[in-house]
Amino acid sequence: MSRLLEVKGIRVGYGTVPVLHGIDIHLDEGEAIGLFGPNGHGKTTLLRALSGLLRPEEGSITFDGKDITGAKPATIVAAGLVQAQQGNTMFGDMGVEETLELSAFTPRARKDRKGRLAEVHALFPRLAERRHQRARTLSGGERQMLSIGCAMMCAPRLLILDEPTLGLSPRLKGELREAISVIAEKGVPLIVVEQDVEFLLALTNRLYLIEQGEVASEIDRDNAPDHQEIMDMYFGEQAH
Amino acid sequence: MTHKQRIFALIALALLALAPIFVTDSYTRHVFIIAFIYATVAVNWDLSLGFGGLFNFGHLAFFGIGVYTAAILTTALDISPWLAIFAGGGTAALAALLIALPVAKLQGIYVVLVTFAFGQLCMQIVLSQGDLTGGAEGLVRLPYLSIGDYKFIRDFKFGYYYVGLAILSLSVVMLLFVATSPFGKSLRAVRDNPDYAAARGISVARQRVLVLVVSAVFTGIAGGFYAIYLRVASPEVFGFSTATLVLSMVLIGGVGSILGPVFAALALTFASEAMAGVRGLEEARFIVVALAMILVLRIAPNGAIDIMGRLFGPGRKT
Amino acid sequence: MDGVLIPTLVSGLLLGSLYALMASGLSLIWTTLGVFNFAHGALMTLGAYIAWTVTEQLGLGIALGFVCGIGVAVLAGILIELFLVRPFYESRNMMLITVMTTLAASTIIERGISMLWGPRLKQLPRVLDGQVNILGAPVSAHEAMIIGLAPTVLLALWWYTGRTSRGRSLRAVGQNQDSAALIGIDVPRTFSLAFGLSAALAALTGILLGSIRFVTPGLGADPLVNAMIVVIFGGLGSLGATAGAAYVIGLLEALLVLWLGLYWTPSVLFVLLILVLVFRPNGLFGRAS
Repeated sequence: MSRLLEVKGIRVGYGTVPVLHGIDIHLDEGEAIGLFGPNGHGKTTLLRALSGLLRPEEGSITFDGKDITGAKPATIVAAGLVQAQQGNTMFGDMGVEETLELSAFTPRARKDRKGRLAEVHALFPRLAERRHQRARTLSGGERQMLSIGCAMMCAPRLLILDEPTLGLSPRLKGELREAISVIAEKGVPLIVVEQDVEFLLALTNRLYLIEQGEVASEIDRDNAPDHQEIMDMYFGEQAH
Repeated sequence: MTHKQRIFALIALALLALAPIFVTDSYTRHVFIIAFIYATVAVNWDLSLGFGGLFNFGHLAFFGIGVYTAAILTTALDISPWLAIFAGGGTAALAALLIALPVAKLQGIYVVLVTFAFGQLCMQIVLSQGDLTGGAEGLVRLPYLSIGDYKFIRDFKFGYYYVGLAILSLSVVMLLFVATSPFGKSLRAVRDNPDYAAARGISVARQRVLVLVVSAVFTGIAGGFYAIYLRVASPEVFGFSTATLVLSMVLIGGVGSILGPVFAALALTFASEAMAGVRGLEEARFIVVALAMILVLRIAPNGAIDIMGRLFGPGRKT
Repeated sequence: MDGVLIPTLVSGLLLGSLYALMASGLSLIWTTLGVFNFAHGALMTLGAYIAWTVTEQLGLGIALGFVCGIGVAVLAGILIELFLVRPFYESRNMMLITVMTTLAASTIIERGISMLWGPRLKQLPRVLDGQVNILGAPVSAHEAMIIGLAPTVLLALWWYTGRTSRGRSLRAVGQNQDSAALIGIDVPRTFSLAFGLSAALAALTGILLGSIRFVTPGLGADPLVNAMIVVIFGGLGSLGATAGAAYVIGLLEALLVLWLGLYWTPSVLFVLLILVLVFRPNGLFGRAS
């Protein structure tokens, strides 16, 4: 089975402050993995490094057989490694449909743009309803949907979701999780960061616990330790 | 200013004061005089740009206003050139007041644009009011400086040299005084942390008005002197090239330092004049200066211009 | 009154059209990069001189003149972005630094032109000869063409940035660089596109101006200030705001010239600009960013 993503020994810092101290993770074709752990311990930093927004000081990232360590973000997206942006508004003054259409920007993504747009509308009917609205007028949940929708428009061969349901109401959380499950079922390889370990366990094959900028443990769903043990592990860490 | 810097400055002043003993030809003295004038303009520009953190791009307009004030007063109204030079400082300060009031409350790029447009407007006015200003050709044959029978042009510009040096020295002294005064401290406070300063009750708007007016006084006087010395007033003073030249002096000398631009002015004026002497380089020297400015910005963009940062310029400050 | 009003309005339309052409390029770079290109006027001048060389000196016709003038200016624009703007993307004071580097570029280009072509006045031929009547006022065909061309160019720009992928990427990059990179947009290349397009607009304007005014190294100096005033009025925002402001100012200027004469108009316009900024610090149509 070929490895889709291989991350070895990644060290990343912001200026002189080191954040990641040698991270190893991997993802195989057809897998979905989850990352969890306390805030501020490097999950987002790792994701930024994967997407080319940060340059690792040491280590390598290999995607689909190609070395993408230190590559430009646009190149990485063109290769198919796509991250759905979390939190912020992407382009405040652009319309929903415009943004979705624009997201099929790379040559790969441009093929069958219309088909993918229809898929996104099916996943997130709200985006279809609000297609001419400006992004800044969308609610938090709708912005998240737009974010994920745009990532889907990029024709991802690997989709990264960084806390996709953060700050949303329980109902919206449910809606988004539904959609993410559908995406997983379509066979899109996923890396998902979430606080809710239960959700991760249901969605993914493997989980990594990231602590202090390192992989503290790797949990395989098939060989999973007791559910309670995982929760203890997680909440135990939280209690530190 | 540190003790070492003070000594350094005094030595430099002494050397410059004694230089005419060794430098006796008219041409070299001329270059010194021009350098003194530009240095005055540059150093005062540093007050608003470096100390005040105000992106004033109309500073050369104050210079030009000084030039034309002196020129018009001496030609149209036959006023003594000495008075005309000082009047140049007055009108420049007035202009600064006029432009400072609207600019005081503007942010970022708007300050740049409005002050720049103001400079261009001054040029437009000068060009269009040809009867008074000589339009594109300017005014010529302005009177010499003299005290009684002694014409300052005599003795290879001996008198002019010391007037130029005096203007520069007075200006530097004034700026040092401002920098160490409470006003200077509050200027730096506003520059480094406007919100905190406002919270402490410092009126940012009033600061800006004051700093612009203060920066205009000696600039205008330098302009008046420039006109009287060269006996010519031309719209060139409002142009991009002059502005780029003086701006380079500020940048290369070190934004936020006081002596830096003075030495940069001396160096650049001599370099520029040297190039003007070489055939084919008369126009090119402006290009060389512009390139030098870009290089300085490339090599030390935040060091040379750390206006908003916590670090000061090349460490030559109080 | 009729006899004087119509020509004034037409004059205002012409001015507005010119201003719109002058300001559109400047506005494009500002909205995409957050940079104010002080070399914009110099690029107009460059376009005019290259066109003059091709058209008058080499006698190859005005069409080729346009092509070459615009082509060289585009190259210059791309070089300016590459060497004088790009190195400062990450700087804390990028806006201020690029003001200075583009000012330096302006000096280099204008002085270079002066050295290469000499200071003597030159003139470009009009694209169209003869006269036409607009609403009863006689206007030269060339100027009428400008009046028609400006809205066309503006509409083309509006369509380009609103409907095409590349054009939309300009707006996207202007709004959120990181997000744009994450959907696969090559941000530096987009900046080059913005500068190139802006330079093309500048050159086009310069060449058109070169036949109604004299071609001198200072050709672009006044238009730069006019463009500056337009974008300030309009609020440094969208293309639409810039276009609107251009025509408002054009008409205003024409009326002021009628009432106050040529001497006082620039000063009054400037005062009006200041007043607008006092009450609306982000321009007439601008929005606080």
